[in-house]
Amino acid sequence: MIAPDALDLHPHRPDEVSVPVPDTALDPELRARLRGSTVAIIGCGGLGSNVAEMLVRSGIGRLTLVDFDVVDERNLNRQFFFRDQIGMPKVTALAENLQRIRSDVRLDLLQDRVTPENLLSIVKGACTIVEAVDEAETKAMIVNTCLAEVPDVPLVTASGLAGYGSTNAIVTECMADNLYVVGDLTSDVRDGHPLFASRVMAAAAAQAHAVVRVLLGFREP
Amino acid sequence: MQVDVVLFAHFSGFQPDGKGGRHARTYELEEGTTIADVIEMIGLPDEPRVIFVNNRHAPEERELRQGDRLAIFPPVAGG
Repeated sequence: MIAPDALDLHPHRPDEVSVPVPDTALDPELRARLRGSTVAIIGCGGLGSNVAEMLVRSGIGRLTLVDFDVVDERNLNRQFFFRDQIGMPKVTALAENLQRIRSDVRLDLLQDRVTPENLLSIVKGACTIVEAVDEAETKAMIVNTCLAEVPDVPLVTASGLAGYGSTNAIVTECMADNLYVVGDLTSDVRDGHPLFASRVMAAAAAQAHAVVRVLLGFREP
Repeated sequence: MQVDVVLFAHFSGFQPDGKGGRHARTYELEEGTTIADVIEMIGLPDEPRVIFVNNRHAPEERELRQGDRLAIFPPVAGG
């Protein structure tokens, strides 16, 4: 057994991290499209922090990250943070983690609550918007405001990811023009359903993949 | 006039036929009926909701027209 403090946990941590993302099988033109894209992620908790990680690994060039909160010990069961980041603003901690994956990703951070007043300035310039907050009221506000004010920008939202239900029930659906909804649509955390990392991250993966597909020109059914 | 109405998730239980399900029902409405009138008529609870008419966002005060497709979706908490 090696004592943890005897390990160099970061033996390969150069200043510039070169990662061949995504897979070289992806057409260079499409790879450049991802690299040239900006995605706004509103909420950096169970959904947003994991969506951000997957989009960085997918080669998205620029992310806007918005969250008012700080990392709490209770977040560590499903969110992309670490114990030594407890107490840090989530956007700052997430930026630190993302840049350990790809140092060239461009990040715009806002530690604030999203409101009807600041929403449009947050999403300005985004190619795609990800709604990743936890309150139903805020979800509705984001979806209604974005569809009304920036209807040409695709929006990926999530609804129904709590509980013990099968991940097979989590689907991606084009519910209206430029609106992609991920989830089972019904399992509400307010009904006492627990949030499992496996199910939350399945929803986050579906959101991230919907973003990639939209940016590459695919459409969900 | 006739308007198709789709209610998602637990809102589907408020369809007048009581059968639930997310398929469209055709409503016979008076000219000038607004989305808010339909919401009141079917007794939807006062919960967060997203509203579309013909796949585009629409405010509740909008008057519906013959052949419109109204869809109402209640997002649920968790993220």
